[in-house]
Amino acid sequence: MLAKLRQRDYQILIAFIIVAAILAFWRPHVLISGLQRGSLYVLIALPVGIIYGILGILNLAHGEFMMLGAFFAFSLVTLTGIDPLIAMLPAFPAMFVVGIVTYRLTIKHVVRAPLNQFLLTFGLAVMLTEMANLIWTTRPRIVWVPYAASSATIGPITFGTFEFVYVAAAAIVLVGMFLFLTRTRAGLAAMAVGQNPRGAKLVGIDVERTYMMIFSACLAVLGPIGALFLIRHAIFPGVGGPFSLRAVSIVAMAGFGNLPGILVWGIGLGLAEAFVRSFRGWGGWADIIFFGMIILVVFYRSYQRRVR
Amino acid sequence: MRNWRYIVYIVVISLAISFPFYAGVHPIHVATTILSLLALALSWDILLRGGQLSLGVSAFFGIGSYTTVLTHLNWEVSPLLSIVLGGLAAGVVALVIGLAVLRLRGLYFAIVTLALTFIFIVIVRNLTDLTGGAIGKLIPSVIFGGDPAMIYWLTLAIAVATIITSEIFQKTRIHFALTSIRNNEIAAKSSGIDIFKYLLFAFVVTAVIQGVVGGVHAQRFAFVSPEESFSLTFTILPLAMCLLGGSFSTLGSVIGAGGLGVLAEYLRLMMPRGHLAIYGLVMVMAILLMPKGIVGTIREQLVRRKTASS
Repeated sequence: MLAKLRQRDYQILIAFIIVAAILAFWRPHVLISGLQRGSLYVLIALPVGIIYGILGILNLAHGEFMMLGAFFAFSLVTLTGIDPLIAMLPAFPAMFVVGIVTYRLTIKHVVRAPLNQFLLTFGLAVMLTEMANLIWTTRPRIVWVPYAASSATIGPITFGTFEFVYVAAAAIVLVGMFLFLTRTRAGLAAMAVGQNPRGAKLVGIDVERTYMMIFSACLAVLGPIGALFLIRHAIFPGVGGPFSLRAVSIVAMAGFGNLPGILVWGIGLGLAEAFVRSFRGWGGWADIIFFGMIILVVFYRSYQRRVR
Repeated sequence: MRNWRYIVYIVVISLAISFPFYAGVHPIHVATTILSLLALALSWDILLRGGQLSLGVSAFFGIGSYTTVLTHLNWEVSPLLSIVLGGLAAGVVALVIGLAVLRLRGLYFAIVTLALTFIFIVIVRNLTDLTGGAIGKLIPSVIFGGDPAMIYWLTLAIAVATIITSEIFQKTRIHFALTSIRNNEIAAKSSGIDIFKYLLFAFVVTAVIQGVVGGVHAQRFAFVSPEESFSLTFTILPLAMCLLGGSFSTLGSVIGAGGLGVLAEYLRLMMPRGHLAIYGLVMVMAILLMPKGIVGTIREQLVRRKTASS
């Protein structure tokens, strides 16, 4: 699953670097905000990719779980008055517990049925959104902290600096997951389970436990991400939906099980959206970029299939 | 005793047709809503029989609604014809999307159809001159002058047409094609079944049904808006109904729609916001505890009893 970058990804990577270089001179704003937005997509899509690679489940409720993490952080901040950055710490174990409960109650029973899995996660997404709707209502909530609005000026352009937290977080999560999967015993066991569950069972790996730990860990990451998200964005029950859809699309575009591809496609999507937003009056169309991209990829793949 | 089945059909149909004569206005409205949701649930199930999971019911519903209203307003097409046009528009969109996606297996189909809803919300909201943007459009007059009985009969006709379509799909060779695609695609292919053709046909037919239902809905309430017409409710409710009643059968969706539809009306009054959580719960519980649905489980019990007694 973590095989070296495929040949095609190299080509796409080089194309992106060229595009980024052009953007840096022509519209530097687009480069910066695209990178920040894209990192957020990568952050949410990476766990989806890992869950898919190891459990074989495409989790359609991932953005909704992030919404849950964000609301957890919000409740902590409003109840105790702590800084949202500190709320990241308890959010991690809290989401881990949510992950274990979700796995035990639902995911565990459908690991072998692909259609039902997807329907189940769709049902979970609906449930999470509507429960949040019941508890916190649809009113957008914000947390104001002074450092969130910090900005920097280089030459003629001014940009927000706080969003670079997402870039840093994406880098940390990517490197952390890479190290975990290649350097630790548990990670190697998880990789083995992903490649061949029966073979892994034969050599003595507890497959059930691995599934549970990986699923819960991937949800636990969403706790801190939710807290970070809360600092810069207004949150409401429906806030996770677009992120779920984009995360799943990014995983599909990268090709199922191709983790480096998720990085490339996630950043690429962020850049493309920022590019469309930079034209006055066309900002509303940015939300369908990901759909255009996935349709192109689907056309390309079905064309390939016909040639073969 | 072979004829008892037909007697049941005749009684049910005559009861359904004469419903407006002995029921009040509110029950007629509820029944109309249930019948349109029944058509949506059943059309979704028809495609599921081929192993294709569509999450874009509300997309085709919304396309139907908008086409109906826009053709009615701009070209002064008669309401009934505009509903037909709405269905056709949904069918054309399904044809284009299906040509691209149905060649690929796995989850591409589900992802693309789910995305379709959000895409059309964005398109409709941004083409302000044509669609009225975020506010939507109003029709000056409701279809049939707002006569609830006529609207009920129209919806009943659509629901019955959907049931007949579903039965045709169950009784002819399409049934074997779709079932074999779902169970073992390679075996289906090696038996000479043109998988792509059958799936595309089923996808377009179901999209037309969903578009027509959307068109009737738009004419009934005389307005369209991005959030109302493309509301995910029209995906979630039919899915929950079909999964509860039992997938892969006509009767399952009918029973699920009847049961959940009455409950839905009650819930809407009890908890105005967040009542969709119940349907999410119903979906999850049905998948986990009763994967065959009510009808499938009962049928299984009957077969077991029959084999035990013989």
